[in-house]
Amino acid sequence: MSVLLLAAAEQPKVHLTSQTRILAAVIAVAFMLMILELIRRDRLQERFSVVWFVAGIGMLAGAIFPGLLGTVADLMGVRDTNVALFSIILLLLLGLALNFSVIMSRQAAQITRLAQERALEGAREQAQSAENGGEPERKRLEG
Amino acid sequence: MTAWENRRIRTLVFIPAWNEAESVASVIHGVRERLPDVDVLAVDDGSTDETAARAAEAGAAVASLPFNQGLGAALQTGYLYALREGYDFCAHLDADGQHPPAEVAHLLEQVRADRADLVIGSRFHEDGAKAGNEEIDGEDYRATISRRIGISVFRFFLTLATRQRFTDTTSGMRAANRRVMELFSENYSPDFAEIESLQLAVREGLRVEEVPVRMLERAGGSSFLTPLRSAFFIFKGLIVLLVGQFRPRNVGASR
Repeated sequence: MSVLLLAAAEQPKVHLTSQTRILAAVIAVAFMLMILELIRRDRLQERFSVVWFVAGIGMLAGAIFPGLLGTVADLMGVRDTNVALFSIILLLLLGLALNFSVIMSRQAAQITRLAQERALEGAREQAQSAENGGEPERKRLEG
Repeated sequence: MTAWENRRIRTLVFIPAWNEAESVASVIHGVRERLPDVDVLAVDDGSTDETAARAAEAGAAVASLPFNQGLGAALQTGYLYALREGYDFCAHLDADGQHPPAEVAHLLEQVRADRADLVIGSRFHEDGAKAGNEEIDGEDYRATISRRIGISVFRFFLTLATRQRFTDTTSGMRAANRRVMELFSENYSPDFAEIESLQLAVREGLRVEEVPVRMLERAGGSSFLTPLRSAFFIFKGLIVLLVGQFRPRNVGASR
């Protein structure tokens, strides 16, 4: 009984079949191609693509060198490589989502300011056209 | 423009309005009647009705936001306009007719006399009963229970945060000088305008005073607050207050 438990603990930490490795590699390559295509069609800006390429390369590396994941799990002090994998992915996604919230907040502030500037410009135009008796003046640069 | 030749004190009264076509004109007329020497600006917060047109007909300048941005952004637009156009003082009141222009005049007197940088019209100030102003007729404002709970929660925490007593933290009737315009035109939370702005002003060392005012029952429409919304509102407000305590101080207002 104890021998059996010992044997289980001694088992290699990563056991990916070559089938899953090929599948993972194909998905990783397809993923990166999709990123490239999105950039080419102007659907994704380059500065936002870096992180996704890093993720794709990480996926590919995991497929090609299956020992890598085991090493990372060891470094983290996690016995189960699956747990290590999922926690890495979870943290990555959490970080990304937060990053997007930050970007969205900044853009919301920018949009608000833009709307305000437009509103002020409109009010100024209205005031000027009232001064000139209905004749809208050419745009005057101020401040 | 002409103000530099014969320099006189210029005052702006602005009115944030979102779909208030029914009441905005009468509010503008009221302000112009009571305060003939001020300029009036309506900040149309992306209204889908005739608010902007009604306000312009009533003789106000109109700043129309291209889409609805929330009260905070609308108020900030007013402060920005006042700052850029070189007004010495500004005041704002709600577009729904709750705020009597006579009380706005009273608030403006306080900032003109330099008794404070920012003056808040308070519905709940102890002296409120004494302030009975014969000029104003209409039914007195009475808060609903959920609103009163929210108000007292904010009152408690804002007092804790600023170490200054405030009775009416969500009042939308205020008067301010240029120091406040400078501060609010750059730092004004679009989410939680009323409370955070008070905290911010006190933190920046501005003199904030409350003045008892009378407010009336709103002319039309009803409050947007349901109990669930109130709870969310309070929760959000507390986070804003907490974060505000740790915000770095700004140097813009110290000039």
